Amino acid sequence: MSEVKSIAGQDLREMFSAAASWLEKSAAEIDALNVFPVPDGDTGTNMMLTMRSTMEEAYRAPDHSASGVAHAMAKGALMGARGNSGVILSQIWRGLAQDLEGKESFTAAELASALQQSTLVAYRALSDPVEGTILTVMKDAAAAAQAQVAEGNDDIIDVMEATVNAAGDSVANTPSLLKVLRDAGVVDAGGQGLYTILDGALRYLRGETELMRLRKPQIIVSELPYAVSLSQAVGIEEVPYGYCTEFMLKGEKLEPDDIKKRLEKKGESLIVVGDDSTVRIHIHTLNPGAIVRFATKLGTMHQVSIRNMDEQHQDFLEMQKDRMPVTETAVIAVVSGDGLTDVFSSLGAASVVPGGQTMNPSTRDLLQAVESTFSEKVILLPNNKNIVLTANQVQSLTQKSVVVVPTETIPQGVVALLAFDYEADFKTNADIMARALSSVRSIEITRAVRSSRINDLKIKRKQPIGLVDGDLVAVGDSNLDVINQVLARLDLGEAEVVTIYYGDDIELDEAEQIGASITERHPQLQIEVIRGGQPHYSYIISVE
Amino acid sequence: MTVKIVTDSLSDITSDLAGELGITVVPLYVRFGEEIYRDRVEITTEEFYRRLVSESTFPSTTQPTPNDFAEVYNNLARETDEILVIVVSSKLSGTYQSATQAKEGFEGKCRIEIVDSLSVAMGMGLIVISAAKAVQAGANLDEVTRLALGAVSRSHMVIYFDTLKYLAKGGRIGKARGLLGSMLSVKPILTMKDGELAPLTRMRSLSAGMDYLYNAVADVPRIDQLAVEHTTNPADADAMTERLSAIYQKGHIYRSDISPVIGVHAGPNALAVSLLEA
Repeated sequence: MSEVKSIAGQDLREMFSAAASWLEKSAAEIDALNVFPVPDGDTGTNMMLTMRSTMEEAYRAPDHSASGVAHAMAKGALMGARGNSGVILSQIWRGLAQDLEGKESFTAAELASALQQSTLVAYRALSDPVEGTILTVMKDAAAAAQAQVAEGNDDIIDVMEATVNAAGDSVANTPSLLKVLRDAGVVDAGGQGLYTILDGALRYLRGETELMRLRKPQIIVSELPYAVSLSQAVGIEEVPYGYCTEFMLKGEKLEPDDIKKRLEKKGESLIVVGDDSTVRIHIHTLNPGAIVRFATKLGTMHQVSIRNMDEQHQDFLEMQKDRMPVTETAVIAVVSGDGLTDVFSSLGAASVVPGGQTMNPSTRDLLQAVESTFSEKVILLPNNKNIVLTANQVQSLTQKSVVVVPTETIPQGVVALLAFDYEADFKTNADIMARALSSVRSIEITRAVRSSRINDLKIKRKQPIGLVDGDLVAVGDSNLDVINQVLARLDLGEAEVVTIYYGDDIELDEAEQIGASITERHPQLQIEVIRGGQPHYSYIISVE
Repeated sequence: MTVKIVTDSLSDITSDLAGELGITVVPLYVRFGEEIYRDRVEITTEEFYRRLVSESTFPSTTQPTPNDFAEVYNNLARETDEILVIVVSSKLSGTYQSATQAKEGFEGKCRIEIVDSLSVAMGMGLIVISAAKAVQAGANLDEVTRLALGAVSRSHMVIYFDTLKYLAKGGRIGKARGLLGSMLSVKPILTMKDGELAPLTRMRSLSAGMDYLYNAVADVPRIDQLAVEHTTNPADADAMTERLSAIYQKGHIYRSDISPVIGVHAGPNALAVSLLEA
C-alpha cells in the first residue's frame, strides 16, 4: 500500500467529510446505545448533525490550508453542536485547530500531537470529566498515535490504523469503566461515535470510498459478558434530573471561563465552550429560567433547547425494567481467577468477592459485598470449604436477609447459580440451589506442597495430585495422567457435561488436549474447555 | 347462529384441528430477506426451520394486515353474527392491532370481540381450543369471551431452548435478554409472563431440560388441557408426550410444532409444554 507522509487542507476536509457520511450510516444504531448521562437516546443523531455543521463550515472556508480547514471545522462544530457528545466533539476539533495553527499540511507526528491537544481541550470542557465515555476513547486513541510516532513510524495511514484500533478497544472497554453501561449491556454511544468518525477518516485515506458506499460501520460489542444485575438497581432513589438546557450565546467580549464559574453551582453536567463572540452552553438544571435570564444579560441566545429529563428518565426506567429479569434476590460468589469471575458474572451473580484456597476473604469483605448490593435478600456462595464458616458469620452482622448455600467447590457454585430460578422467591431459591449441589462432582488438580503419604498414596513434593469433592484420590506424573485416574474412579454412566476450567499456569493447548482425550474415551460426554485463570489449581473440572 | 372463532397462525393450531373445531386461522407473514410467505400456508414449519438453520439470512415475522382480518370478518359475517378473535400476545406482535383496526373499519352487523391471549404457540392454542369447544357446546359470544379471558390467566407455557444462538440474533425478547452472554453453554428454560418471554432457569443438557419440563407439568395439581410442541425434533416431543401421558390420563395431549415467532429465537431442538389449569 502506498504511504502517506503528509496531509494538506484539502485532504483533511475530504477525510472528515467521508467520516461524517460514515457516521450517518450508523447514527440510528448509536442512538440505540445511549444510556448516559440520561437516556436521551440520540447521541448518534446529535453527533451526526454536529458533523454536518462541522463539514458545511469546512467547505465554506476561504483558507484551504490544514490550519484554515481545521479552524473552520472547529467553528462549524461549535455553531452546530448538539447534545453533550456534540459539544465534546466540537472541542476535539478545536484542539486539532489549535495545534495545526498556521500549518499548510501536517505529518504523522504533527497529527499525533494535534490529537493530544484535542484530548486536553475536550477534558477541559467538562467540569467533572467521566471515564468510560468519548473522553476516554479520545485519550486512548491519541496515546496510540503518539506511541506509533515514538516508534519512528511516519506513515499517516499506519498511525491512523493504530489510532482507530485503540479507539475500538477503548470503546469495547467502556462498560468496565462505567457501571451504567455495564448494567445496560452496551458500550458508550459517544465513544462509538468518535470511533466511527476516526474509522471513516482512515478508510478515506486508504482509498476505500467505493467500499464505504456499500458497507456499514461496525458497532463495537462490549467485551464484557453481559452480567445481569440480579438486583433491581433502577427505581431505588428518585433523583430529579431537571431540564437539559442547551443554547448558543452570541455577544461581544464573552468570557467562557467566567461564564463557566458563574454557572457551576446552578446545575450538573455543565459544559461551556467557545470564544469571545460565541459560547455554547450545556447544563442540566432544575431552574432553566435562571440560566436563560443570566444568558440574555450577556448576549443573544440561539438554538435554544430545554428538555425535561425526568420524562426521559421515566422512559429509561421502563426500558431498563424490560431489559432486566426482575428478581429481588442477589447472588454473591467468592471466586478467584479472572476467567471464573467472568463465568460467575455471566451467569448472573450480582457481584464476586475475590478469594479461594489460601486467600480466604474476611467476614468484613463478604459483609461489604452484601451491604453494597442493591438487593435486601442475598444468597452467598462461598465456593470453598474454608470460607463457608466465614460466610455464615455475615448473617448476624447485617439487617439484610442472607442465606449461605454451602458450596465447597467452584463446580458446586456454578451448578447452584445455574439452578437459580428467576420466578421463585428467596427461600425457595436457596433450597433449589442447595439441592442442585448433589448433581455435580468436583475434580481439582493441583500440586503437592510437600512429600507425604495419604490414603495409601505415596506423594512427592510438586507432583500433580487429584481431588474429588475434596478427597485426595490420585497422584501421577502429569496432569493428564492424574485426570485419567480420577475419571476412572467416577461412574460416568450418568454424566452428561464435563467442564474443564484451566488455571493461570496452563496453556489453552494443553487444556484442549485433555478435553480431546476425555472425548476419545467417553464420546457420549459434552466437553467444554473454559479459561478459569485460577491460581493454585491447574484444573478444576466439573462432572454433571 | 353459532359464534365463529378466529385466531392467528401463531396459535400452532394444525389445519386438521382447525377444520374439526371450525376455527379460522389468519396467517402471519414469514420473511427471509426479500421473500415473503404466508405462515403455514405458503411455507411449512419444517421448511421454515430448515431454512433458519441452513441460511445466513435471519428471518423475521410480520403481523397480518388489517385487510387480512377484514376479509375474514366479511366472509364469516355471511354465516354468523358473532365472532371471537383470539390473537397472539400484543407484546410480541402487532397482530392484535391489525385485528382491532379491521374491527373498527368493519361495517357489517356482526358483533366482534377480540381477546389478547398474552401468550403464543400452544399457550394460546389451548385457549383457542377450549373456546371452540365451548362454542360447540352451545356457548354464545359473551359466554365464550368470558371463558377465553378466564383461560388467559390459566394458561402456562414452559419452553426449553437447546441453544442461545438464535435468542441472541432475534429482536423482541424482553426479559429473556438476561440469559445472553453466558460463558458456559447453557440451555435456557423460558416461560411466557405478562405477555412476554421471560427466563425461568438454565439447564446444562437436554435430559435435564426434559426433566424440568416434565416436573413443571407434574407440579400442577389439576390440568384441563395439555400440549407438547417441538421445532425440529419430533422424537423428543414424542418421548415427552409419552412420559406426560402417564400423569395426564384423562384427555388428549395436543401435539404441534412451535410457531416461527418463537422459533426464530428458539432455533432447532427446542421443546415446549403448554397447559391450561383446571
